[in-house]
Amino acid sequence: MSSATILKTPAALFPQPLRSRRPIPLDRLIVPLLTVLSLPLTGCRAKISEMPAGTPITIHPPLGLPAVPVPVDNQPTLQTVALGRRLFYEQRLSKDNSLSCASCHNPKLDFTDGRRVAKGVGGATGLRNVPTVLNAAYLPLLFWDGRAKDLEQQAGSPISDPIEMNQSHKVTVAKLARDPEYRTMFADAFGSSDITIGRVEKALASFERTLLSGNSAFDRYRYGGDNYALSPAQQRGLAIFIDPNKGNCAACHTIDPKYALFTDGKFHNIGVGVDDEGNLKDMGRYNQTHVDSDRGAFKTPTLRNIENTAPYMHDGSLQTLKEVVDFYAGGGNSNPYLDKDIRAIKLSGQDRADLVEFLKSLSGDLPSNAGPTEKR
Amino acid sequence: MKNTLTPTCLFLALVLMCMGCSTKAPLNTASEAAPNPVQYFHVDPATAGEVTGKVSYAGPKPTPKKIDMSEDPACVSAHHGKAVDESLLVGPNHSLANAFVYIKSGLEGKTFEVPVTPVVIDQSGCWFHPRILGVQTNQVVKIVNSDPVTHNIHPMAEINREWNHSQGPGDPALTRKFIKPEIMIPVKCNIHSWMRAYIGVLDHPYFAVSKDDGTFQIPNLPPGTYTLAIWQERLGTQERQITVAPGQHAVADFTFKGK
Ligand code: HEC
Ligand code: HEC
Repeated sequence: MSSATILKTPAALFPQPLRSRRPIPLDRLIVPLLTVLSLPLTGCRAKISEMPAGTPITIHPPLGLPAVPVPVDNQPTLQTVALGRRLFYEQRLSKDNSLSCASCHNPKLDFTDGRRVAKGVGGATGLRNVPTVLNAAYLPLLFWDGRAKDLEQQAGSPISDPIEMNQSHKVTVAKLARDPEYRTMFADAFGSSDITIGRVEKALASFERTLLSGNSAFDRYRYGGDNYALSPAQQRGLAIFIDPNKGNCAACHTIDPKYALFTDGKFHNIGVGVDDEGNLKDMGRYNQTHVDSDRGAFKTPTLRNIENTAPYMHDGSLQTLKEVVDFYAGGGNSNPYLDKDIRAIKLSGQDRADLVEFLKSLSGDLPSNAGPTEKR
Repeated sequence: MKNTLTPTCLFLALVLMCMGCSTKAPLNTASEAAPNPVQYFHVDPATAGEVTGKVSYAGPKPTPKKIDMSEDPACVSAHHGKAVDESLLVGPNHSLANAFVYIKSGLEGKTFEVPVTPVVIDQSGCWFHPRILGVQTNQVVKIVNSDPVTHNIHPMAEINREWNHSQGPGDPALTRKFIKPEIMIPVKCNIHSWMRAYIGVLDHPYFAVSKDDGTFQIPNLPPGTYTLAIWQERLGTQERQITVAPGQHAVADFTFKGK
């Protein structure tokens, strides 16, 4: 891991102080409110403050991305981000000290692992393909099935998941507390050297909010006024991507007038993971909502940096972008819950080649200050 | 945040557990009657007969139309040589290949075992092989993609369930079944418009596809009187009554008029 030198720059993180607070979306406000209301339930835990301390920073999104939503109770500071970065590469978060977050979200593979499905502690095989954490800061719900509502809630779950890092939060906290360096970092980040899983989660989340990637050829063409940033084939591909009567891709992989996330943040059944009996192997979103139409529905993934994050789909079943485009061209796999926006679309061989070229224009700049840090 | 949820969950879990023990004692379901075993019909080899014949086309031999695959260059190179329209395959002496011949009636009341060997459809050279095939109800149809491109096989069934499925290069074979008799299910590829096959599904094993020389053979048939039917994708259907005497060989030739 230590050789990710491109990503390592010694400069301080985002030195700009927090000047003006951006308006915070309503759903971001409700969450902390609920937390405050339910504090009495958590008993003695509530005594250790989990409010960030240190120097507030503003995260500046690159070209093509909107402002980063930030929860009121976890405004990023230099110190929480630095701690989160350290934790992201910390193998002691796993039961046998073999895996860090970066083992599966490897910065050299645009924060994925290149495998069909994830491999956890002791070689345990996961059920799903590893999504990138680049730009995850914008997702209203996390995981393929949306079972986590924010990065804070998400961060704790791989640590304790038996097929991922497989370590109870108690053990995690105890392991970190034995390291005086961590005690200092937690003190800098939260005002006291106490280590709680809530603090770990907040620090990881703040670091992840800095993992943004934009300023791709597409962004320079669409938002930067550079008419030559896309090749003619890519421009044709973009037109097909947007056209409802052709690719219809933007129906779910959204492009907005001022920015593009390439995801509507919603869940759709596009016919991935249909077995020989015509049944769905993984119910996806349905397991969270128990709404029939959510059977086999998965979160629309972003398409940014898609060229570097093969294999594709929640089950890693498609190897190349060409295969993905052909999958859509054929109308996916039929099943009773297929999204109405998925149907056999009439795309010529040239159209399909152009679409693939367009998808390759979505590789953006990688964030600096995101790689593993040296021990101090 | 998660910690606040834990007590609630625990409480709910407790409630659920209590409800669990008060209501559900394990039920003894072993008393369920075993279903009657299916009585399969077995042909007596001593009396079995067969029907054979030749299929002819009375019209002018069609000039083979070339299929344009240029839309997918990978298909052009995968097909090795030129692809021609096979919807009306007329050979020497007016022989007509790829007609589907089958017993349409006369076997009622007999249940036939499902063959264990699957029927294979290969997608190779952006073409279905074979083009015309018969399969028994519930027999496994194994769908193979030998091509370097993705196919999306789509049997446009009306009596059976219609489905389509994407199969990339190197993907494992699909194994599917058709559970009801249906003559014939047109099969297309959602990606390559020129690909075409037809599947005949029957609840018995008495069917055949005419060969290049127009001949067909339906062996091992119990003696009886039958309606023999023939289907050809462009020329339609014909039927006729035949009688197979014990141990005898019946002959049924068919001629389709030219169009
Ligand atoms: C064993 C491999 C593995 C490890 C280790 C791992 N993850 Fe993941 N991560 C996954 C997989 C697989 C998913 C998708 C799971 C799902 O959706 O069901 C995922 C999903 C995520 C997501 C959601 C992304 C999205 O698009 O919804 C985030 C954020 C994330 N992980 C962050 C982390 C952090 C932080 C850590 C370390 C604490 C971590 N992961 C450790 C495999 C791993
Ligand atoms: C109905 C909404 C919808 C439409 C329309 C749609 N997608 Fe998707 N896309 C999804 C969802 C949902 C997934 C994840 C599905 C899964 O894994 O089960 C996905 C996955 C993908 C992936 C794989 C991403 C990854 O990280 O694994 C690519 C690439 C992709 N889509 C491209 C396209 C293109 C190109 C089009 C247009 C031809 C398109 N999509 C149209 C919803 C859609």
